[in-house]
Amino acid sequence: MNYTQSITRAHRTAFVLLLDGSGSMAETIRFRDRETTKAEAVAAITNDLLFELIERARRYDGVRDYYDIAVLGYAGADEVRSLLDADRDLIPVTELATIRPAVRTETVEHRLPDGSIALREIPAPAWVEPRAAGQTPMCEALRRARDLVAAWCARPEHAESFPPVVFNITDGEATDCDEAELRAVAAQIRAQRTTDGHVLLVNMHIAADGSGRTVFLPCEEEAAACPNRYAKLLWECSSELPAAFEAAAREAKGPGALPPFRGMSFNASAAELVTMLNIGSVSVKTE
Amino acid sequence: MTPTLATFMRALLTPESSFATLAGLRAVAGSDGLPVLRRTTRFVEAEILLHDARWLLSMPLNAAAAARIERTASRLGRMRAPWLAPYRLLPAELRWSDAAGTQHTADLVLQALPAGIGFAEALRSEPAERLLAALDTLENELREAGVAHNNLKAENLCWSGGRLLPLRYHDAAFGAGHDADATAFEALRESVAPRTSAPLEMHDVAADYDALPAELTGHLWASHTFEGLICVEDETGYGFVDTHNRTVIPARFRWAGDFREGRAEVETDTGMGLIDRTGAYILPPEYEIVDYDPAESRIRVRRDGKWATFDYTGRRLTPFA
Repeated sequence: MNYTQSITRAHRTAFVLLLDGSGSMAETIRFRDRETTKAEAVAAITNDLLFELIERARRYDGVRDYYDIAVLGYAGADEVRSLLDADRDLIPVTELATIRPAVRTETVEHRLPDGSIALREIPAPAWVEPRAAGQTPMCEALRRARDLVAAWCARPEHAESFPPVVFNITDGEATDCDEAELRAVAAQIRAQRTTDGHVLLVNMHIAADGSGRTVFLPCEEEAAACPNRYAKLLWECSSELPAAFEAAAREAKGPGALPPFRGMSFNASAAELVTMLNIGSVSVKTE
Repeated sequence: MTPTLATFMRALLTPESSFATLAGLRAVAGSDGLPVLRRTTRFVEAEILLHDARWLLSMPLNAAAAARIERTASRLGRMRAPWLAPYRLLPAELRWSDAAGTQHTADLVLQALPAGIGFAEALRSEPAERLLAALDTLENELREAGVAHNNLKAENLCWSGGRLLPLRYHDAAFGAGHDADATAFEALRESVAPRTSAPLEMHDVAADYDALPAELTGHLWASHTFEGLICVEDETGYGFVDTHNRTVIPARFRWAGDFREGRAEVETDTGMGLIDRTGAYILPPEYEIVDYDPAESRIRVRRDGKWATFDYTGRRLTPFA
């Protein structure tokens, strides 16, 4: 198990995105240098991830069938539902690419030559919309993800594939379990495997901490330094980053960063993780 | 770590704050207002307008691709040929922030897009004889210049001014003796003038020697025979087989070059290295660039941006500087 399998049509993988849409997501946080709601941040991260996954499967001849994708929203009273297709959780990326997303307007800041800051609106594709209502049945969502990836891994054609990756985007405030239950179901997800490796569980923690700081792929000290009470719990639930990704993670985190790192981010996207995967085979001779 | 595709797209929409020298660019967009991106496994590109001219702006998607364009641009920059559309490396052109807000830069490649039409369109508008002659001309020019495009196909050719111009040189190889484009040229000729199923005729002439044995099947891609070994790409990566298609070095590399004087450059997840004919490492796969020169039996190696020279046996001759 070394997480080195290239993701190809012969060796497909799966991505499962779990989105916290509970009432607490209406709170305001600082995200990407702007005041916004947690729900807006979750939607922005999710749409970026979906864009990344679809475009990384695109070639001259169209989108290739490299993976299945599920986007599950959780909110209300134990409500976990697919946001891409009401009847199915996992859909092939080729099918997702045929869905024409809404194009939202995103406001970004940019610095002018005189040093002043100007705002600018740019288009951004949006497959999911911000949502904030009801409870946080995170445990139920993780159970659903566990069952999904277990069934996916059990299929013979996936035996040698790069293992599925589960992204859970949340503020961490689960209302349907205690911490022990959450750790247990997270461990069950991480225990699923193909011959190439165990399923990776990545938690993207969106929360207010006043400092406006962000953390990406934290080591234990970084997680412990985070004042948010749920950060440590989500860190414990997250997968340790495989050795195959350590060089890229150290490059991303800068000099002095020492593994092990966990698949987690705090008030930040983790879409950069996708850049570390080998999606597609190299079809040209390069020497 | 390389920027995400979403980062590249946002930069194209906010060029004045994202690019070092291309602040005035305008990306060609679709009906939804989003820049039109094209992808290969190793690059993403967008067509842009700058100074009233059309260009292809490409971003490498992994470290190996970034290292490759650095060398390619350097070699092409020293060449002057009418069939060579300008291809420039733009160091640290893209300014971007990662998930944790850390500032980074990324190298990009800018290639001029000649005024003209694509090869597929030319197939419909130009006589076959003219296109075949243009293919012959281009093949001769590449051969005489010692350049193998290495990724020649219809999408990478432009019909301009009555001739064919190649685009997207990212994978070019340099030096005499490269025949990597031969198969591509044959495929292009076939698309211009498909062979008819004429009755089989017997001729008393010797057939051309074909280094690729007929049984070399079961691979995604296969090179030609060099020193008795053939580099192949399988689902698991690049490796080597003999002329009977028997595995000699398992396909465990992310990329591998052909054997030359008993050595082959390889790349793994940890970096580039050099192997011998048994697959044993002469240089471990831990370098950014390994550039083996069989004529000199010397290996130029880059680590942390500094270069050193090694001999054929893997002994370091000069310090990294």
